[in-house]
Amino acid sequence: MMLASSTLPVPHVAYSVIGPEVVMVVGALVLLTIAALRRSPLPHAFTTSLTCSVAVVSLVWSLHVWSRVVGAGKHGFTAVDSAIAVDGFSALILVLVSVALFLSALASASFLRRESMEGPEFAVLLMLSSAGAMLMGAANDLIVLFLGLEIMSIALYVLAGSNLRRRQSGEAAIKYFVLGAFSSAIFLYGIALVYGATGSTNLSAIATFLTTSVIVHNGVLLAGMAFLLVGLGFKVAAVPFHTWAPDVYQGAPTPAVSFMAAVAKAGGFAGLLRVVYSTLGTLQIDWKPVIWALAVLSLVVGAVLAVVQRDVKRMLAYSSVSHAGFVLIGLAAASGRGIAGSLYYLFAYTFMVIGAFTVAQVVSGTGDSRHDLEDYRGLIRRQPFLAIGMSVFLLAQAGVPFTTGFLAKFSVVSAVAEAHSYALAVIAMVSAAIAAFFYLRVVGYMFSTGTGGEASAVVQPGAGTASVRFSVGDAPSAAPLPAFEHSAAAVAVMDEEVVASVGTTPALAEAPAAPLFAGVPFGPAVVIALSGAVTVVFGIWAQPLLDFARHATLLF
Amino acid sequence: MSNYLPILIMIVVGVAFAAVSIVASNLLSPSRSTAAKSAPYECGIVPTLEPAERFPVKFYLVAMIFVIFDIEIIFLYPWAVIFGQLKTFGLVEMVVFAVAVVAAFYYLLSAGALDWGPANRLRQAGPPDRTLASTIRRVPAAAEVGGGEGTGTGEDPDVVAA
Repeated sequence: MMLASSTLPVPHVAYSVIGPEVVMVVGALVLLTIAALRRSPLPHAFTTSLTCSVAVVSLVWSLHVWSRVVGAGKHGFTAVDSAIAVDGFSALILVLVSVALFLSALASASFLRRESMEGPEFAVLLMLSSAGAMLMGAANDLIVLFLGLEIMSIALYVLAGSNLRRRQSGEAAIKYFVLGAFSSAIFLYGIALVYGATGSTNLSAIATFLTTSVIVHNGVLLAGMAFLLVGLGFKVAAVPFHTWAPDVYQGAPTPAVSFMAAVAKAGGFAGLLRVVYSTLGTLQIDWKPVIWALAVLSLVVGAVLAVVQRDVKRMLAYSSVSHAGFVLIGLAAASGRGIAGSLYYLFAYTFMVIGAFTVAQVVSGTGDSRHDLEDYRGLIRRQPFLAIGMSVFLLAQAGVPFTTGFLAKFSVVSAVAEAHSYALAVIAMVSAAIAAFFYLRVVGYMFSTGTGGEASAVVQPGAGTASVRFSVGDAPSAAPLPAFEHSAAAVAVMDEEVVASVGTTPALAEAPAAPLFAGVPFGPAVVIALSGAVTVVFGIWAQPLLDFARHATLLF
Repeated sequence: MSNYLPILIMIVVGVAFAAVSIVASNLLSPSRSTAAKSAPYECGIVPTLEPAERFPVKFYLVAMIFVIFDIEIIFLYPWAVIFGQLKTFGLVEMVVFAVAVVAAFYYLLSAGALDWGPANRLRQAGPPDRTLASTIRRVPAAAEVGGGEGTGTGEDPDVVAA
C-alpha cells in the first residue's frame, strides 16, 4: 500500500528521552564484547564497576528527563511516533530502575565471587532486564509495553537460573519461565482483544477512543482488559497469580532475587498503573471491583502465608505479595493521590527489599543455602551490622513510624479512605498487623541468643536472669548448638552456673561481641548502609520523596 | 454483568464438550489394542529408535543460534525491499540491530558455543585453582545431585557444573 510512495514516513527517534534505556543496552553489549575479547574471565571488580557506572549514567540521564517534564510550566509529551510517553511517571520509573540496578550490581559482586559464578552474564542480564523495565515504564503503546515486559522477563528467567551449581536455581528458572511465558501469552491475547475493540494499540489513542465513543457491546474490551490484568498481575505477583513467587524467590540466586523483587515489581506496576488507570480510566466501574479483589486477596493471602514460612526468602516472597496488595490499594483508590501513593510505595519498597535480600545474601553463606529462620538466631552477636540493617528493613516493611515504609502504607491507605473505600483500608491495616508478626519474629530471632526452640522460649519466668543474660557478655555464644535439647537450652537461660560450665566448650569460648562489620563484604555493606539510610532518613525527612512521587503525574 | 454471560456460557460449553468427549470415548469405544496402536505416535512414521536416545547438548546451542540468525534474516528481507524509501533512517536502524546481533554472536563464539567435542578451551579459561576435585566438592551432596557421584568421575568437569 505504501510501496508506491517514494518515502515512508519514518518516526523521529528522540534519543534524548530514551537515553537511559539506550545506555543500559549499550553497556550490556560493551561488557559482553569486552568479555568475549578476553581469554580469561573478567575480574568481578571490573564487571561491577562498569555496571554501576552504567547505572549512574542512566540515573543522571533519568533525572535530566525528569527535569524536562516536571516543574512549573512543563508538561509531559510523547516521543518516537507517540510510542514513548515522557512524563513524571515514566521519569520516576527510570530513576527507580537505575537506582535498583546500582544497588543490585554493587551487592552481587561478592556473591558471584563467593559462588564462583564467573563470566559477565549476570551483570549483562541485570542491565538488559533494567532496560526492559524502563521501557515498560515509558511505554505509550501496548506493543512497546509488551516488548519491555519480554526484555525484562527473559533476562530475569535466565538470572533466576544463573547459579548452575544449585539445583533449586534451575528449578526456579524453569518454573518462572513456563509460568511467565504463559502469562505473556495471555497478556498478548489481551492486547489483541483491546486492539480489536478500540482499533489501536496506542495508549493515548485508546483513551481518546474510549472517551469520545460509547461501545454498546464491550465484551471484547472487557475480556482484553481482564487478560491484560492477568499478564501484569503475574509480573507483580498479585494473588491469585502469585504462585511462582515463593519458589522462584527461594531458588534463584539471592542478588537476582533482590533485583527481581524491586525491578519486576516496578516494571509490572508501571504498566499496570498506566494501562488501567490512565488508558482504561473510563472503564473504572468495571475494573475497580477487580482491582479491589486482587488487592484484598494479595494483602490477606500474602500476610497469612508468610506467617507459616520458615525460610526467610520464602517469607520475603510472601511479604512481597502482600506489598503488591498495598500498591494495588493505591490503584483501587483510582485517584491522583492513590497513584502517587502507589509510586511512593514502589520507591520505598525498592530500598527495603534490596536491603533485606542483601542481608539474606550475606547471611546465607557459601552455597547460598542458609536461609532458615534458625540461621538468623543470634545474628546480632555474630554480625551486628547485618542484624541492625535487617531490623531496619523489616521494621520498615512492617510499617513502623519514622521509616519510609510507614509513609508508604499511610499514603496508599489514606488515599483509599479518601475514595470512601473504608473496607479496603480496614483490611489493609489488619493485614499489616498480621504482617508485623512475622517481621518482628525475624527481628526476635536475630536479637535472641537462645540455642534452641522458639525465640519466645527465651523469655521465661525470671526475667531478671534473662536480662542479665542479655547484658553479660560471656553468656552462650550465638553459634547454634544442635546437640543441646530444648530443655537444656532453657536451663542454660535460667541458670548462670550452667552457662558458666557450658562456656568452657571451645565454641562458646569465642569472643562474644563480634566487630560491627564482621564478615560483611564491602559491596553489600555499602548497599545495606545506603538502603537503610534512605529508608530512615526519608522516613523522617519525608517531604522530598513524597513530592517526588506526587509530581510524577501521568501524561493523560 | 450480562456482558460476561456469553463468555461464561462459552467456558461451560467448552469444558462440557471436552468432558463429554473423553467420557463417551471411554464408554463407547471398544478397546482392542494392537502393537501399532499402542506405539508412540511419530507423525505417522513407524518409530525405529527408542525415544530416549542421547545426543550432544551442543545441538540445542546450534539450533538456538540458528533461530537468532533466522530472525535477523526475516527482518533483513523486507528491509532490503523498501531500503530505498527508508533512506538513512533505515540504514541506521538496521546497523544498530546488526551490531547487537553480531556482538551476541561474537560472545557465543568466545563462549565456545560452536566448538564441537570436549570443551578444552573453556577448561583453560577457568580459574587456575579450579580442578576436577574442587568443582566436585562444591556440588552440595549426593542427595542433592541425585546420586550424581558418577557424573563427577566423567572427563569433563563442565558436566558437573551444568
